[in-house]
Amino acid sequence: MIEQHNLLEVEKLSLGFGGSNGLFRTKPAMVLRDVNFTIGQGEIVGLVGESGSGKSTIGKAVLKLLKAQEGRVRFDGMDISDLSERQMRPLRREMQIIFQDPYSSLDPRQTVRNILSDALDIHHLHMGSSREARLVELLDMVGLRREFLDRYPHEFSGGQRQRIGIARAMSVEPRLIVADEAVSALDVSIQAQVINLIARLREQTGVSVLFISHDLSVVRFISDRIIVLYLGKIMEVGPADLVHHAPLHPYSKALVSAEPRLDQKSSRIRLRGDIPSPLRPPSGCVFRTRCPFALPACAERVPELREVAPGRSKACIRDDIDMETAS
Amino acid sequence: MTMTSASVSPASSSRLQLPRIHPRLRLPLILVAVVLVAPFAVPPLLGIDPNAMSVMERFAGPSLNHPLGLDEFGRDRLARVLIGAQASLRVAVISALISCTIGSLIGLFGAYFRGFAGFLSTKTADVVLCFPPILLALLVVTLMGPGTKTLIWVLSIIYFPAFARIVYLEASRVSQLDYVIAAEALGARPRRVMFRTILPNISGPIIVQFSLTTAAAIITESGLSYLGLGVVPPDPSWGQMIRGARAYMEQDPLGIVIPCVAISLTIYGVNLLTDRLRDVLDPKGLSGGIPILSPRRRKTPAATVPATLEADTVLRIDNLDVTTNRNGVAIKLIEDVNLRVRRGRCTALVGESGSGKSLTASSVMGLLPRGVTVTSGDIMLRGQHGQAIQVTTLSGEGLEAIRGRDAAMIFQEPMTALNPVYKVGDQLIEAAKVHRPVSANQARDEGIAFLKRVGVNDPERRFDSFPHMLSGGLRQRVMIAMALSMEPGLLLADEPTTALDVTVQAEIIDLLIALKASAGAPGILFISHDLGVVAQLADEIAVMYAGRVVEQGPAATVLGNARHPYTRALLQSMPAAHEELHASRSDTLPSIGGTPPLPHERPAGCAFRDRCPHAVPVCADERPDLTAVDGPAHLAACHLATGRAA
Amino acid sequence: MARSVISRLASALTMLFVVATLVFAIQVVIPGDPAELLLSSAGSTPTRENIEALRVEMGLDRPLAQQYAEFLWGAVRLDFGSSLIDNSSIGQTIAARLPRTLELIAVAMTIAVAVAVPFGTQAALRVGGRLDTAGSGVSAIFAAVPVFVIGTLLILLFAQTLKLTPAGGYADFVTAPMQHLTNLILPAVTVAMSIFPIIFRMTRSSVLDSLSNEWVRTALAKGLPRRAVVRRHVLRNALGPVVTVIGLQLGILLGSTVLVEFVFNWPGLSGYLVTAVEQRDYPTVRAIILVVAALFIFINLLIELLQMKLDPRVQL
Repeated sequence: MIEQHNLLEVEKLSLGFGGSNGLFRTKPAMVLRDVNFTIGQGEIVGLVGESGSGKSTIGKAVLKLLKAQEGRVRFDGMDISDLSERQMRPLRREMQIIFQDPYSSLDPRQTVRNILSDALDIHHLHMGSSREARLVELLDMVGLRREFLDRYPHEFSGGQRQRIGIARAMSVEPRLIVADEAVSALDVSIQAQVINLIARLREQTGVSVLFISHDLSVVRFISDRIIVLYLGKIMEVGPADLVHHAPLHPYSKALVSAEPRLDQKSSRIRLRGDIPSPLRPPSGCVFRTRCPFALPACAERVPELREVAPGRSKACIRDDIDMETAS
Repeated sequence: MTMTSASVSPASSSRLQLPRIHPRLRLPLILVAVVLVAPFAVPPLLGIDPNAMSVMERFAGPSLNHPLGLDEFGRDRLARVLIGAQASLRVAVISALISCTIGSLIGLFGAYFRGFAGFLSTKTADVVLCFPPILLALLVVTLMGPGTKTLIWVLSIIYFPAFARIVYLEASRVSQLDYVIAAEALGARPRRVMFRTILPNISGPIIVQFSLTTAAAIITESGLSYLGLGVVPPDPSWGQMIRGARAYMEQDPLGIVIPCVAISLTIYGVNLLTDRLRDVLDPKGLSGGIPILSPRRRKTPAATVPATLEADTVLRIDNLDVTTNRNGVAIKLIEDVNLRVRRGRCTALVGESGSGKSLTASSVMGLLPRGVTVTSGDIMLRGQHGQAIQVTTLSGEGLEAIRGRDAAMIFQEPMTALNPVYKVGDQLIEAAKVHRPVSANQARDEGIAFLKRVGVNDPERRFDSFPHMLSGGLRQRVMIAMALSMEPGLLLADEPTTALDVTVQAEIIDLLIALKASAGAPGILFISHDLGVVAQLADEIAVMYAGRVVEQGPAATVLGNARHPYTRALLQSMPAAHEELHASRSDTLPSIGGTPPLPHERPAGCAFRDRCPHAVPVCADERPDLTAVDGPAHLAACHLATGRAA
Repeated sequence: MARSVISRLASALTMLFVVATLVFAIQVVIPGDPAELLLSSAGSTPTRENIEALRVEMGLDRPLAQQYAEFLWGAVRLDFGSSLIDNSSIGQTIAARLPRTLELIAVAMTIAVAVAVPFGTQAALRVGGRLDTAGSGVSAIFAAVPVFVIGTLLILLFAQTLKLTPAGGYADFVTAPMQHLTNLILPAVTVAMSIFPIIFRMTRSSVLDSLSNEWVRTALAKGLPRRAVVRRHVLRNALGPVVTVIGLQLGILLGSTVLVEFVFNWPGLSGYLVTAVEQRDYPTVRAIILVVAALFIFINLLIELLQMKLDPRVQL
């Protein structure tokens, strides 16, 4: 997939929470540090990381639902970092979000018709007689029947609710969708349906997707490229299959080998301990405290994300690790 | 895409719905309606004058003309009490309305915009709440003088902070929910988000608070009037009537009892409405939730068949049925489940949510939720001294004795499975101290040893930590240490890694694998939805669907040669099973359509047939039994697998 | 720990300062001149000169900033000036009367807690049972009857009809201890009855909430006896909200005992306050309210510190 220019460009994004607390000043917990990435037109980019990695924060910061301390976000070539909420409003149509929890993502007091209509009303779409046809078309698009229009969310199963959430996001014909753990809460048999649905929508409408998940196998299947995130920093970026089959960064390798598989692979990297608190990130490379390959030099400076092969970058100072023999 | 002007309203705006009145609300609503309407409707209807005096008849008892008799000035008591209600109700309702409007707006703006508005809405409330309500009222009365208008002012000031606080809290909670974020992401204006999305979703607590405030306002108003600082004579109000009747209490107890009863009945009605509203709007309080202390179990007669167990087996479940009641109809949640766990081996129970896998584990521990019972079948557990125990017939004490000692359990959510107010070490050794006599020091040493055994670094320090200081992975290790601390023969693990990060999950799985290989290892019943996790641990697998085991056998056979279409579908829908597929090449993951049926909607015949791509007519007519397929150890409940549908 | 204690202490002091300012400001903000109000409360129309004279006496002629500073400085030294009615020292009168009010509250709260907490716990442990129904019924009735009505009805029953107790009054504990106690019974029971429903309900719902915690299941799963589970893993965790509501009620009682003291002629703060309000003795009202609000803030501070002790997670 060769794109003319990137739909989304994120540059040096940093974001933290907290900072002051009553009488005492506290250091803000930096959730994201210096994050750079792009998403092409019609591209699905997977964002993997564990809890505390800041992956959901990136999704919300891109949509400007959270305010970043530093950095630029360009959408379709336009810098939206400093736009006010009012200036953002027309742009909201172009970028939408799908949530993890199918239970809290739909207003329990609105029927499906109202939920979808609201989205159209806000942007004055299909205000006339074409409305009904559009609503049916939307339901059809996500594989739901038109009879569902006048039902309330609690009458649906988790998978169906997730489809309604997707229909709401698609209703305004966005060009970018942030799917924030969109399939994580679903049962396995339902999860595959929703993954297929998102992939199909991308094919049909050319929408770009930032697909956020903790599950590498899901991300590998759906994404064109994968970004591996750890403690607010990007560890590795590359084409999905390559990151999955031949990860370059020790953390990516650990993620891949931790993945529960039906065929038990022998080579495993096991990490020590837990993710450090974002309040007190380690100096230098944030991963070094759990990295089996850490050197004294890793504590000294922050490794930058550098391109090591066409389209593949990693943030690790070591090039001498043989991932295959490491275990 | 057509764009039409905003003024055209959408064709279908059928938003108004006829309100249905919940049956539990009917009685209090009628009561409150009577209380609200009678004072204004009855006096004109009866044509009685509350101020007409007939001094000759003062303190006259009830008569046909004056159903409640006459007071100290010979005025009709019924008329007085009704007119008094007018003043009380007017003041209470108006001030409740004012405080509700002001308070809700402050709370809503504060919660939505945060910053200064948020500060204002919480802090003003905090300041006003520093004054006991009556005192605040007296302060204002001192400066403004008594009277109805002052009262309305005062009561509004007293009660708006409570509204502000409740609306602030509720709106803050709701505005974190995804559907509000979705509205913002769609570009809805703040006004729309606040009034169309947030407000309707917090209307429950506001209505409850309104009703609560009305009752409180009636009480405060009457109290102030009783002190002579509220409604001033000659306007009658209940508080003032009680004040007046006090002087004649000895001669005329009725005079004081009537307004007292009127006031109490009114408040009772409003309170009843409040309580019922709360129950109806927040049904959480009515249902139990997770298995709580159920009433003591009665002893059931011992099983006719003596409990026996094969030598290598620590748990055997035979023909287990677990049932609940739904509107008087018995619904089977689990049906005819047979399982066996061998010493030092792991049996995995696999299924999606609602399949009954967790209930199976809870039945072994006697920890079923309220209203859910084992209705038939046997659960045989290996006791500490090698004896076989029939769990289904145990009394409450009997269950306490086996829990922890013969069968221990770990849960999905390590964050909530430990009590936050005790140190983890104390919780770790708590059970050991109950089950056998050990000194505090010895228990501590043992506890630390167990922490070390499950791979906790720095166990002495962790022993003295509180749960909130530990990460999820560490807490789950503590849970495992706790479970192992009494050296049980059986370990039940209910989705123990589901809530953990993948890298941490891998560590815990490694730990369980190591545990299996250790000397004196317990048998493990491992419950999971994730076949990938199960593949690494299990020696035997049972797949559950809609309350029944549909396939069962040695792990390698079930995973490698699944015979039930559901098992195959589960395996196929895992993205990890399809490394060759990729969405960018227009591949799709194999998936099953539809959703699992709810327990009360399970179809006749095979429960999976609606979703099964291979279903044939016999699947609807006849329920397939678990039958041996390719070898005696591998069972499947499918007509196709057993050749019946051929 | 020390840091959070200091932080709470500081915020309590700030609150106290805000409250004091507010009490002072109300007089300025609300229309009407205290001096004029005081003089006209007797019913007569005061002359200009009279008003002016009183304004000087009350210090109302001085600049606002000065009045404010004097008020604050006085409050810090617990010197609230003297009553406009009889020139007695407000501080001394409060000091004499406040203990009586506190005694009433303490006794009433002890009774209420001793009954409502065990009752509420048992009701929750047997939710839907007979005890639960009875407790909820009783608390619904008690909650519906205003405190002064309870008092009046108790007098009617026990003093008037059964002649078991005095209808009201007060006797000094030192000189007439029995008399003091018989006088105390009815008002204390009245107040206890009025707060019973609140404590009962909070205990019940808090225990119910606590029962549904997952660690209760953990405790059961490790084989703790039922009684130990209830004591250690249910009641201990249910304590927090109950303590909070007790603290809040203590504060509210500082106000609502006004009515009870009035009903029973109990010479606590209230009689003093009601007279002051009737006579528009603003400095007295102001002083009483400030003292009570300070007590309220102090109680809340104690409760917060207690909560920190009860729950290791509360650290802020």
